[in-house]
Order: sequence, then structure tokens, then C-alpha cells
Amino acid sequence: MKKETPIIIQLSIFVSILFVSNIISSFFPSSFPVPTPVIGLILLYLLLTTKIIKVEQVEKVGDFFIGILAFLFIPSGIQLAPSLDVLSHDGVKIIGMTIFSTIILLVVITTTASIIIRLKQKISSNNK
Amino acid sequence: MKEELINLLKDPLFGICLTLIAYLIGMWIYKKSSNFFILQPVLIAIVIGILVLSLISMYTSHHVEWVYKSLYKPGGDMIFWFLLPATLSFAVPLYKRNDIIKKYWWEILLSLFIGMIISLFGMYYIGKMLGIDDTGIASILPHAATLAVAIPNAEAINGNPSITAVACILNGIIVYAIGTQLLKLFKLKNPVGVGLGLGTSGTMGSAKAAEIGSIELATSSISIVIISILIDFLIPFFAKLMNLG
Repeated sequence: MKKETPIIIQLSIFVSILFVSNIISSFFPSSFPVPTPVIGLILLYLLLTTKIIKVEQVEKVGDFFIGILAFLFIPSGIQLAPSLDVLSHDGVKIIGMTIFSTIILLVVITTTASIIIRLKQKISSNNK
Repeated sequence: MKEELINLLKDPLFGICLTLIAYLIGMWIYKKSSNFFILQPVLIAIVIGILVLSLISMYTSHHVEWVYKSLYKPGGDMIFWFLLPATLSFAVPLYKRNDIIKKYWWEILLSLFIGMIISLFGMYYIGKMLGIDDTGIASILPHAATLAVAIPNAEAINGNPSITAVACILNGIIVYAIGTQLLKLFKLKNPVGVGLGLGTSGTMGSAKAAEIGSIELATSSISIVIISILIDFLIPFFAKLMNLG
């Protein structure tokens, strides 16, 4: 059994990475935004694959955050309260397009991936 | 009396308490309905939150926007901030299934690139069919990316950022509420593919993927990253092609 890294150190790792990511994010031009958490995700992934940070040094806090993610999303939803006015004008159409777009994205990307993976498997089995 | 109430509610504690209590009520209703899928705790919590803010707005005769900004936002932002380290957390499941990423990285990139282009055309023509004007379409097109990427991209092609925010957030809520049903309805099974698809709804999609399996969770995490960058690349080209903005 490996010794677990104290929570305060795990949190410090997260916050330090975010701080650096924020600096990196500010270098991107406004026409090509790459947000802080996306850079942070890449950084933490690279630090893990290069073994600079070990999984057990971030695992517990990471699991906790992923576990409460849905809850963290509530303020974003409530943020829509003042925007409900924007919707009063073309609302039904906008909501309709968003629902269709969501389904299109999910179905098209998932299907494209399954087709490409199947094709690749066929090609590599034919080569053998 | 009204003034006193407003001063009390100006403390960030109000926003935090409202979010927590609304969520607890949501969990209770979800359980009472024996986990009826549309009654997701998060969905109920958002509705309760908006209702409470509207009631306060009626009682104090302030505009809802004022009530949101001055009373809810201070506390709401504190909870919202934790989405930053939470998004970072997805690096952990991604690293744990590095075998999948190493095996399929080429297929993942290609699928997201091709899938995103097809989806943009699909979304554009659905918008046209519904009779939405160019501003509306431009606002919704970038919504597969996270809010921080979608909004500047929408603005660059003359979209309305408030509509973009609605589309982004709604996208996440829809997938979290009925994602499992959609996957079943369209018979989508390939775990790598399902993860990539769910990643188009950002962190909420990944939260759904976490409930399905480790491969889905890993590929949805990588999907969030690549989609954000793809939207930056593709939206300006697509807008030019379609004469948007």
C-alpha cells in the first residue's frame, strides 16, 4: 500500500498547475483562445506521463472533483436566469437548434469514430 | 424590510446555500421519483435556483439581472471557480487509460476532425430549416467547445454571446439528462466513439462518460481538449465558406 499524499499537497499541485496554465493561456491571441483549464489538463497529463507527478499525488483530489462535477455546474445553469429575456424573442427556435445540434454532434462524432476504427482494423487484418 | 433582506442576501453565503439546498432538494426529488431520468438533481437545482431568483426579483422589484449579479453571483462564482481544477482532474482518468490513447490516437484525431466538419454542416442546415437568422446560427455553431472558447469564436463571426452561453450550457444539461437514452436510441456502442461524442458536451459530457466506463471517460477527456482547439481552427473557415459574419 502506497502512502497517500496529504490533501493539502494534492490541492497545491492543482492550484500551481492552474496558475502556470493561466499565464500560458494569456499568451494565446484573442482570435485563437485556449482556456486555462484546457491547458491545465494537458499540462497535468504531460506531468503524469513523464512521471514528474505520480498518480497517487493527485488521484484523491481528482476523483473528488470529478465526483462533484455535476454539482459544480449548477451556477452555470442559474446564470441563464437573466438570459431568459434573450430567449423570449426567438427562444423556441434557438432551443430547438441547440437540441438538434447536441444530438448531431453526439451521433455524428460517435458514428464517425466507430466507422474509422472498424476500417482501420479491417485494413490491418488484411495486411497480415 | 426589503432593504434589510437585500443586504442579508448580498453575502456570498446566500449563493452558496441556495446552490447546495437546491441540489439537495433535487437529489431528494430524483430519489422520490425512483430515478426518473429527466428529473436529474442538477436540472431540478437549476430550475429551483432560477425560480428563487425570479421570486426575489418580483418581491424586491429589481430586475432579474440585478438580482443575479448582486445577490447570487458572489456565492455562485465561488462554486463556479472549482470547475477549473475539476476540468484539470480529467487528466487523471486520461492518464490511467493511456493504453487506449496510444492505441487509437490517430483514429481519435481523424474522427474528431471529420465528425466536427460534418456536424457543422448539419447544424448549419438545421438552423436554416428552423428559420434562424445568421446571428442565431453563428451563436450556436461553436457550442461544442467549452464556454471560454465558444464565446470569442461566436463573437468573431457576429454571433450573440448570450445565445452562445445558453447553447453551451443547455448542451451540457441535455447530454447529462438524456445522454444514456440518446446512446441507446441511436445504438451507439463503440466505447472510444461514445467517449469522443460525449466530449462534445464538455465537462458535463465527461461526467456522463464517468458513469459509463473508464475508456469512455478517457476519450471524452481528450475530446474536450481537441474539440476546443478544432473549434478555434474550423469556425473561421466555416463562417467564410457559408458567408456568416
